[in-house]
Amino acid sequence: MRVVLAEDLYLLRTGLEKLLAAHGFDVIESVDNAPALLRALVELRPDVAVVDVRLPPTFTDEGLRAAIEARRQVPGLPVLVLSQYVEQLYARELLADRVGAVGYLLKDRVFNDDQFTDAIRAVAGGGTVMDPEVVGKLMGRRSRAEPVTRLTAREREVLALMAEGRSNSAIAQRLSVSEKAVGKHSTSIFTKLDLAPSEDDNRRVLAVLAYLNA
Amino acid sequence: MDPMVNGWTWALVVGTAVCLAVVWAVPTPRGRGPRAVGLGALLVPVVALYLWAAGITAPFGIPLTYQVSPAPGGSGQLTLIPDGRGALFGVANPGAAFWLGMLIIAVAAVVTALAPRQAAYVAATGLLAFGLWQACAAAAFQPEFQGHHWYGWLVASTWRALVWVLAFASLTGGFWVTRRTIVADLRARETLADRVEQLTDTRAVAVDAAAAELRRLERDLHDGAQARLVALGINLRAAERLIKTSPDDAATLVAECRETSAQALADLRNLVRGIYPPVLADRGLCDAVRALALDCPVPVVTEVSLPGRPPAPVESAVYFAVAELLNNVAKHADAGCVLVRVRYAGGMLRAEITDDGNGGADAGNGTGLAGIERRLSAFDGILAVNSPVGGPTIVVIEVPCALSSPKISIS
Repeated sequence: MRVVLAEDLYLLRTGLEKLLAAHGFDVIESVDNAPALLRALVELRPDVAVVDVRLPPTFTDEGLRAAIEARRQVPGLPVLVLSQYVEQLYARELLADRVGAVGYLLKDRVFNDDQFTDAIRAVAGGGTVMDPEVVGKLMGRRSRAEPVTRLTAREREVLALMAEGRSNSAIAQRLSVSEKAVGKHSTSIFTKLDLAPSEDDNRRVLAVLAYLNA
Repeated sequence: MDPMVNGWTWALVVGTAVCLAVVWAVPTPRGRGPRAVGLGALLVPVVALYLWAAGITAPFGIPLTYQVSPAPGGSGQLTLIPDGRGALFGVANPGAAFWLGMLIIAVAAVVTALAPRQAAYVAATGLLAFGLWQACAAAAFQPEFQGHHWYGWLVASTWRALVWVLAFASLTGGFWVTRRTIVADLRARETLADRVEQLTDTRAVAVDAAAAELRRLERDLHDGAQARLVALGINLRAAERLIKTSPDDAATLVAECRETSAQALADLRNLVRGIYPPVLADRGLCDAVRALALDCPVPVVTEVSLPGRPPAPVESAVYFAVAELLNNVAKHADAGCVLVRVRYAGGMLRAEITDDGNGGADAGNGTGLAGIERRLSAFDGILAVNSPVGGPTIVVIEVPCALSSPKISIS
């Protein structure tokens, strides 16, 4: 799997390169600034990009902007954004094009390399991976917006795990229910959120987006 | 009627009328009150005139005495004789002159006591009235006009009156200009002194707040990230020892280390958020407020737009104020929804937080609101609360500031 990596701190960049190589990823380019990232993404069209939010030259949310711009030029280009902090605002901006294949994780998540590489693969496969911290804040919110209020508590749990990018089997394992039950809950969620039957991955993205926007 | 008595009477009548008109026309410092006092002052020379006419005294420096001599025909004849002394309070009746003097002093004292602000005005109008009257009267009693037509005095009195008015005008004009300058200067000094006092207060608040913040940071680092790094070092050393003899235990310790490092990161993240939230640094106040709204457990509608970015310290102060207010709403208000507006107009950055909760918030009571107000005061900012019991609650923050370059926004 071809990966473009954007991280300005040398220690983290080499650490991530090693980690990705160890898990069988092919890091085709490592960059340390946003303009280089944008060029690499558009020209090399990697299978997935792993991008730090804060990059030169402004050291603000340069990486996020570059990722969004690259996805504007190459729709659906898979991007996993890493950050020292997560904001729902940024999560929404990443999801706003409604095509999925985006991830948004705290940098700490790389400590668990298995989960981290799973997340990269999920994003590369068109899935949506939101950090549990983003999802947790969503869960804490008293939403009054239809149609999310129509969801049962269990359906909200399933949706939250869906937002974290977990597969049905992982969700089943986490909630100690059968995979079939999770499938049922998912169908119910899609129906309640008025998501027409389509490719499952995209419906999951839209469900998460509905949740974020609630 | 005898022409001489005629002239004398006319002089007094016209002189008094002129005095009255002038006193009435002179602009008063404020309202009708001083004008009434001015008229009162005018009465002093009038009263004096009648005392004098009644033969008690010859006040105000008119160099005349008079006597009524029986005319050959039997009717009374007023004859005026210059006494050449020009004395104030003439010779006819020193006792009455004394009392008249006392009366004038008493009136002046009462006026000064009752209305010190108007005393200068009274003195000025009294002086003007007296001067005009004197100009008329003195001319009227000059012997060369005796026996002439009644209007004869007018010619002589006009230039005297003119000189008097000019002198008076320059005197009082000078007085008012001086007074205005002094008053303006005093006011400016007072304003400046107030401002210095206010700045001293708010500076103390700002310094205290900064010091408290540094102490908090030090404590948080000490108890949080630093402690976890120490634990990390100890555990890693232990794992190093165990790695050959007991690899499984070593692996457990290393996993623990990983957990500890994640917690240290979380601690640092929270700390950074408390110092300067990254989203504020990245995007400015508008998006930072939107981010706050998204994180608030109560649904929040935002109407935020600024034509540029406020200075970073102001941005930060307003951000934390809005964060705390939203936190208050979530904790205490039991609100169904919140509206946050951020606007800039007339040199003021204005944030307005309205909720439909149960109200009853009080800036004087709740330490939270008072704290926000205190922190905003360092920027001359203010906080106003309108929160009747039963709601809704509106909290308004205003901070004067200038905005810098237009905002950069992705869209």
